[in-house]
Amino acid sequence: MMDDIAFWLGYLTNGKHLTWYASFQFTIFAALAGGGLAVVFGLIGATLKNSRFWPLRLIGSIYSSIVRGVPDVLFFLFFPLAFEQGVEWLMATQLCTPETLAAQSAAWPPCKDANWFLGTPEYLILASVSLGLVYGAFATNVIHGALRSVPKGQLEAARAYGMSARQVLWRIHIRQMWIYALPGLSNVWMLIVKATSLLSLLQIADIVLWADRLGAPNFLPTVGLVHEDWRWRYYLVLFVFYILVTLVSERAFGALMRRAGRGILSEAR
Amino acid sequence: MERFLAELALFAPAVVFNVYFAAASVPLGFVMAVFLALGKNSANPLISRLSRGYIYAFRGSPLFIQFFMVYSLALSFNVSLWKPMGISWFVLHPLFIGPLVLVLNTAAYTAEIFYGALRAVPRGEIEAARAYGMSQRQQFRHVIWPNLIRLAWPAYTNEVVFLFHATAIVYFALPVIGQQKDLMITAKELFERDYNAFLHFSVAALYFLAVSLVVFFLFGLVYQRLMRHMPAAPGMRFAPKWIR
Repeated sequence: MMDDIAFWLGYLTNGKHLTWYASFQFTIFAALAGGGLAVVFGLIGATLKNSRFWPLRLIGSIYSSIVRGVPDVLFFLFFPLAFEQGVEWLMATQLCTPETLAAQSAAWPPCKDANWFLGTPEYLILASVSLGLVYGAFATNVIHGALRSVPKGQLEAARAYGMSARQVLWRIHIRQMWIYALPGLSNVWMLIVKATSLLSLLQIADIVLWADRLGAPNFLPTVGLVHEDWRWRYYLVLFVFYILVTLVSERAFGALMRRAGRGILSEAR
Repeated sequence: MERFLAELALFAPAVVFNVYFAAASVPLGFVMAVFLALGKNSANPLISRLSRGYIYAFRGSPLFIQFFMVYSLALSFNVSLWKPMGISWFVLHPLFIGPLVLVLNTAAYTAEIFYGALRAVPRGEIEAARAYGMSQRQQFRHVIWPNLIRLAWPAYTNEVVFLFHATAIVYFALPVIGQQKDLMITAKELFERDYNAFLHFSVAALYFLAVSLVVFFLFGLVYQRLMRHMPAAPGMRFAPKWIR
């Protein structure tokens, strides 16, 4: 019995497992940064969609429909790669000489100097931005709808008080918009949380990658077979982890909605 | 331009796999979702709890993890179960596991849509049916189901398009066998060959967009047929809410 406990304590706190626990930070960072950026892009997109200048309105509509028309995975892979290549192309215009261009045999980068090496932190930031871009398109629609559900009387009253257009927008319109937007934004947040499981596609050693490595049959020459294929157990842990995150987020958004709904007529909720 | 056409031809066999995954999982997922939605609405607490838990679990966790979980589970039973039965080539094949997981996933999402529609069926109509002396079965067949499917159809259309988009990650979780590559794997391999991200990924995106539009069109036709008794059809929204 004691041996068992000692084994499990030792097994669950070995170096690889500690790295696994530490890799949760990538997932949490990507979710929080992606969520924040999604709201920012959503606000920008909704403002564009509401614009009186039609080219801006067109840009807003195209943004919110194109990004949602293709799978999130595709955009999630495409954006970091395209951004990297864009930067490398810019570097190439500055750094490459005809000799280095001629010396390069691979298809990309144009020359050896214009190579931008991306590590985990860079990929993590790019992944967060692409999460923000993809789900910002969803948030655009949510916020656009919410802006239109704010009662007209409130805005007219604000204008009657002599507020400028900017003051009406920031103090009344966007302030009151949240109560209508929160249910939709909570959905977007759930989507972002679920999309963070894709980080390993960008070579980030996240929880999914580590679960795969840890669960693979573990053979040590000195001890023999430590365990056979345990991958499904590790994935089960992640499955439960994501369900718990969903549960907690639901509670948190419920509390947030109650708080945002203070002083607003209950018909809004 | 020629390059673009050649690219389109390269992706044509790949889109078949995505369409296969979606087409194979839609019918089964539909049937399973109807039972799950009825189960969630059931008066029996056990059935209701179970359906509710199933729907919550599969809507609350990423499809990517579900793929890995089911595939590794299937792998761990390989030596003890599938091998002796001689069906491991079938059970472990991505063309079987892929639709299996997609069915489990889409059933949960669709069940939630159907459950919402079930709650929205007008009370008065059910009461009228009961007043006519209809049995439970007759009530469902003649009153509840026609209402439910009409209420749920627009949201269900979205779910099917979303399911089609979800097929993009099948081969990121499951092994690629031979030349059986879907759109994403094709795009990724072509990208690794010549590093032209803009061409390959855009063509893959075009294919996804095109098939999504076809799905919208076909499901719109079905919706029109369903709503043919209505004086002025409200019309299918072609830019619906994509949230699920």
